Amino acid sequence: MTLDEPVLELKHLRKTFGSFTAVDDVSLTVPRGSVYGFLGPNGAGKTTTLRMALSIYSPTSGSVRILGRPSALHVRHRIGFLPEERGLYKKMRAREIIAYFASLKGMSLAAARKRADDLLEQYGLGEFARTRCEALSKGMSQKVQVLATIAHRPEFVIFDEPFSGLDPVNQQVLEQLIDDLRIAGTTIIFSTHIMEHAERLCDRLVLIARGRALFDGTLAEAKRLIPRQILLRTTSTPDGLQRVPGVVGIERLTNDQYALTLTEDGEPDAVLAACFHHGLPLLAFDRSEPTLRDVFLRLVGPSDAAEVLA
Amino acid sequence: MRNALLVARREFTENVQTKGFWLGVITTPLLLLLAVNAQRWLDASTPTRAFVVVDPAGLYIDAIDAAVDRLHQQEVLKAFGTYLARHALRKEPPTAADLESTPAVDVDSLLKRYSDANPAAVDMFVSQGGVAMALGLVRSQLKPDAPPFEEPRRPYVRVKLPAEVDPHDSAEVVAEALRPWLRGERQVADDERNVDLFAAVVVPPAVIDHVIRPGSLPTQPTPEASVQFWAANLADTDLAAVIEQAINDHQRREEFRARDVDATTVRAVQSTSVPLVKLNPTKASGREQVSMADQIRQWAPTGFVYLLWISIFAIASMLLNNTIEEKSNRLVEVLFSSITPWELMTGKLTGIAAAGLSMVGSWLVALVAVLWWQAGPQAEFAQSLLEVVVGSGLLPAFLGYFLLGYLLYGGLFLALGSVCNTLKEAQNMMQPVMLVMIVPLLTMVFIPKDPNGTLARVMSWIPIYTPFVMMNRAAASPPAIDLYGTTLLLLASVVFTLWLAGRIFAVGILRTGQPPRLVELLRWISRVDATGG
Repeated sequence: MTLDEPVLELKHLRKTFGSFTAVDDVSLTVPRGSVYGFLGPNGAGKTTTLRMALSIYSPTSGSVRILGRPSALHVRHRIGFLPEERGLYKKMRAREIIAYFASLKGMSLAAARKRADDLLEQYGLGEFARTRCEALSKGMSQKVQVLATIAHRPEFVIFDEPFSGLDPVNQQVLEQLIDDLRIAGTTIIFSTHIMEHAERLCDRLVLIARGRALFDGTLAEAKRLIPRQILLRTTSTPDGLQRVPGVVGIERLTNDQYALTLTEDGEPDAVLAACFHHGLPLLAFDRSEPTLRDVFLRLVGPSDAAEVLA
Repeated sequence: MRNALLVARREFTENVQTKGFWLGVITTPLLLLLAVNAQRWLDASTPTRAFVVVDPAGLYIDAIDAAVDRLHQQEVLKAFGTYLARHALRKEPPTAADLESTPAVDVDSLLKRYSDANPAAVDMFVSQGGVAMALGLVRSQLKPDAPPFEEPRRPYVRVKLPAEVDPHDSAEVVAEALRPWLRGERQVADDERNVDLFAAVVVPPAVIDHVIRPGSLPTQPTPEASVQFWAANLADTDLAAVIEQAINDHQRREEFRARDVDATTVRAVQSTSVPLVKLNPTKASGREQVSMADQIRQWAPTGFVYLLWISIFAIASMLLNNTIEEKSNRLVEVLFSSITPWELMTGKLTGIAAAGLSMVGSWLVALVAVLWWQAGPQAEFAQSLLEVVVGSGLLPAFLGYFLLGYLLYGGLFLALGSVCNTLKEAQNMMQPVMLVMIVPLLTMVFIPKDPNGTLARVMSWIPIYTPFVMMNRAAASPPAIDLYGTTLLLLASVVFTLWLAGRIFAVGILRTGQPPRLVELLRWISRVDATGG
């Protein structure tokens, strides 16, 4: 494959279980080197889509192209996968289990063991290398699982809900690890329902709900999907701002709080200038970007969003 | 292939690292050693037991003394035989031909006949000078480094009645007086040592008037009219048996005398016997005599069936357990991003078969080693068993049926494990399976009696029973059609089962929630796209 060919390309992917449609016409493209977020509520079809991408399930219809091949079976060794529900062999030692999974990906056992030791050392688990997994704490087990996923130096890593169940400290470690991978040029997909993680880490994302992909694009593109707003507090009435170019609406939120809706190319600076020009007494002027949460809420509707954003 | 081997390697390492594995490996030889030596060790650890006889009328005391001494002399004679066998110079070790010609009587019955019907031999041994005389006779035949002969301990010794007990009191009073000794509260003197009193025999003089004879009215024996055997230890019944035998023999001799019958003649008549040999028509002319090896060969397969059953199910259960482990903690998903379900399945089957074979192999090695170590001229049984185990085709048959049986049941258990989420669910589903599986255990004792009969033949053709039943029949030269036909059918069943298991495994192991209904299972199997869920 060439360097600019996408790492993963799904076209009109569909998966039904009996009469239930888990994934309905999902198409998406994951460019090389990107950190790609799969966002959506539980049961949206994220895991099923990922399983099809990995050829664990075969799609009912549609096509997969992964690392330039029609099936992940041909390129397993170049992929790392961390499923959402995960476990370890209780009786195996940390380094052995990492080495085992790496060896299944084609590394020699000796090299895999060495790599396991290095990784454990690097992520602060050096002293637990020879501990049986049943004796590891939950956080340590999860680290071991993540390390087992990347030990064979995959060029493409898929993390299904990697942050679920992690305490804040370990979430930090994982974010760091994802960042390390990105710097090393690894393409990463991770699914999550935590918008903040996606916002911090992703440069591209897909929004999935009820089996359908609602959006596939960059973070900036996603944010452009919803009108930009300015929040301001004033003791006066900001009706005069209505005439500023780019402002399409003013809504009074509370006693002294107003939300100004701007067109896509509306300039917050022009609004601020107009405020001074009209001598409007400003208590607050908030021109913050819309969050992914806002995008999500708008795209999936309140009922699905409630489950995720709760 | 590489992946399946990696999986196999992991399964093997994990299983041989469990405590259960090593317990299995270590306990079996220990149990075998124990079984072979239990009697000897038990004898060695049992102390000489003291008893008293209160027989104021002198009715049976001499008979009892003689019988207890004879019991000891028998042991001496036996020990002397073993001693000779071990330390006498022999020109050659016994050959297979010697074993084949050993008549099919087991050691126990031989000894019993010897002691019951012919106590005269022991008496003669004693009267001619016992061990001292015999040692003198064989000295020149002993190996130069032979240790001196050690006479075995007396099992029982009669001690003097404690001075506080008056033998001329009534039986009731004597028994009452003896209670503190019998309960272990007091000790009796035996050669300047104080020992516990094991038993007391009280013979009321009136017992002579209550001898039961044919034609006399059956009456409930009362303690006053019976010889009383007092002992707190109910488990050791040997002494009671010896005494009962002694007083009855004595009484019968008296009866003969009273009727003017010559007791010696009667005994001579009683010792008369007609020889009977067991012959097997399927053996070569001139060697038809049924040997001990023949009998063992007939029955040894039953032992192998049991071993086969235990090992197949122990090992297939390991497979079930760790399939459920992988499924319940969702390890399969990680695995399936690296290897195919088929690779996982073959890897597991191979790895666990290797672990299982190591364990079963260690049992077989232990069996042969223990027999080889214990075998010798003095342990004819072990020698013959060794001969059969090593010399006949039973071991290869065992290994073959083990592998095929394991693959058949392993495949079934894997499929079962893949559709269950918890061990509990699996156990529920196992119950009907267990019922079906128990059948060869129930039939394994009947089949050797009629190894080519209808039951055996019909069961041989049911693939799930083939390994066990054919193992059971292995020594009886089953017809070629049965031997090859059932093996082919079994092979085909193994292939079919593994194929079926592969399909169920691939779908089932990723599935969560309720175990599937039969209809669903059939759909999984029939579907071209097995991962279609």
